[in-house]
Amino acid sequence: MTLYNLNKEDRCTIISIPNVMLLESLGIRKGLSIKIKNKQPLGGPIILQLGTRSIAIGKAIAKQILVEV
Amino acid sequence: MNHTAKAVNDEKKILLMGNPNVGKSVIFHKLTGMEVEISNYAGTTVGFTKSKIKLDGEEIDFIDVPGTYSLESTSEAEDVAVKFMESNPTAIVCVLDSTYLERNLKLALQIKGYNIPMLFVLNLIDVSERQGIHIDIDLLEKELGSKVIPAVAVKDKGIDKIRQELSRILKEEKTTKVVEEKLSNEELWKMASDITNKVQKTVKVEKNILEKLGDKTIQPFPGIPIAIVILLLSLGLVVGVGKALRSFILLPFITDLYTPFMTNIVSRFVDAGILRNILVGEFGILIKGIEWPFALILPYVFLFYLVISFLEDSGYLPRIGVLMDAVLSRLGVQGGSMIPLLLGYGCAVPAIISTRSATSKKERLIVTLMISFGIPCVSQTGAFISLLGDYSILMLIAVYLISFLVIVAVSKFADKAIKGKTDPMVIEIPNLLIPERKSYFRKLKMRMKHFFYDAEVPMLMGVILAAIVVETGILIRVSEWIEPLVVNWLGLPKEASLSLILGIIRRELAVLPLLEMNLNGLQMFVGSVVALFYIPCLSVVAILIQEFNLKTALTIGLATIVSALTFGGIINQIGLLFI
Repeated sequence: MTLYNLNKEDRCTIISIPNVMLLESLGIRKGLSIKIKNKQPLGGPIILQLGTRSIAIGKAIAKQILVEV
Repeated sequence: MNHTAKAVNDEKKILLMGNPNVGKSVIFHKLTGMEVEISNYAGTTVGFTKSKIKLDGEEIDFIDVPGTYSLESTSEAEDVAVKFMESNPTAIVCVLDSTYLERNLKLALQIKGYNIPMLFVLNLIDVSERQGIHIDIDLLEKELGSKVIPAVAVKDKGIDKIRQELSRILKEEKTTKVVEEKLSNEELWKMASDITNKVQKTVKVEKNILEKLGDKTIQPFPGIPIAIVILLLSLGLVVGVGKALRSFILLPFITDLYTPFMTNIVSRFVDAGILRNILVGEFGILIKGIEWPFALILPYVFLFYLVISFLEDSGYLPRIGVLMDAVLSRLGVQGGSMIPLLLGYGCAVPAIISTRSATSKKERLIVTLMISFGIPCVSQTGAFISLLGDYSILMLIAVYLISFLVIVAVSKFADKAIKGKTDPMVIEIPNLLIPERKSYFRKLKMRMKHFFYDAEVPMLMGVILAAIVVETGILIRVSEWIEPLVVNWLGLPKEASLSLILGIIRRELAVLPLLEMNLNGLQMFVGSVVALFYIPCLSVVAILIQEFNLKTALTIGLATIVSALTFGGIINQIGLLFI
């Protein structure tokens, strides 16, 4: 399942991320468990909760992030 | 990049480093007193800033390195950071965001691998403590092997300590360099996470009202209605209050008091003739040189920066980017580019500079084109309101609708025409906070100062040029020469060629001369559309050469002029069919 399949309030663990440097730099990496804060309509970004921080990830990248619920 | 090379090679220097948006620039300002641009979002410092710090009477170079998440050299900011790291700095002040220790430690550990004397500043402890995050500072010092200073930089907490600690580090004997082996990213993350678990305790606390509001502003509902309300309020404040200031205070002062007074004085000393006309005539330097910049433009510029600086410091702007991403990604750019676009409504120069934080060359170019072609700066907006606002509000709105269509068309076209791909959005959304009063007003002051130097001077030169061309008869000759274009094609009076000449210098100068020409509605509209498309102004051409190259600057300059004349003419020809 990809990150983009999830919805508001869902929790998941990241299995793999695409080779986008910024993702890892922001702290998004394999094995991390996260909560979905919300998803913007019309193909907008999905917003994750990471600790006390929120990170917005565009649809095209979110679709390449594999997760496990 | 000579500038970087020079700063890199200078002898003794201290670097200020850390993740983006952790308060490095605030600390830099507090330690050096130098005015720097500070906002509440990642990537405000796009180049490095250098100043001096005084420690025990000795002046040492102090460098605000742009914020990075790592030292992999995958972006321009990281390239700069790596260059500085490898330039043998004397010491590094590494700023950590206490609300997100783990990620900040990852970079800190990576920097530590270079074996340079370090000092850690644990910033934003007021925020982290309110969020229920408690960090054991002594334990963290032990883990990192260097001094850790807790700080709330915006409130001056911890700043003196940083200075003392730096003096101490500089006095210490330099330890011989032991080259540690570089750790992999995975190892770094594991270490960062282990240390965080050891030193940090989190208790769950009820979110405060700002945090709740911060969450709401990124939900589609009520985030989108909130965004619409904020944008309308901002627009109302800038346009409404600006118009009130102009027509009830500034303009009466100029026309009823200043102009008669000046004309009177000059008439006493200067005989009627060319010189008197140049000074106080139709385009008199002493009249228009004051009226245009101070009465027609300044109120809007001031109010615009009042609003945008507040939005920047509050951390709201990236939220608009998140909400707009779905729309913008259909135009070939991602939501994060909303910030340069919004800044463009103030002035294209800082807006184009801020596109440096774009993740791809293609995106930078698309956003720059959108700004250059379709986004009127606040000075031009002021001029549009002066020209159209009193005549017809609908016409003013129509000009902005056309501007909007131009932005969409340009980005669509550029997305197709420019090779490559733009990256999807990945951004961190900053906490929403109430701007700190002192730094907010400092920023406002700095921006107004920039406006006075960068805008008033060319505007004054434009007015002087106008006075000379008009009064010496040069204008009549030029006008005759381009008469077919101005009169037959655009349907404007002959003298309107003045707009085309002055418009090259400043954007609003393409509009303001039209105020003096008793135009009919269609002519005003055509004049406005021409000015909207027309070449963005000399400063923008200069910044395009600096940020891209001469070819790009000339191409944009030429394309804007051609499209201005083409579309202005088409609107005139269509309009004439209906009159």
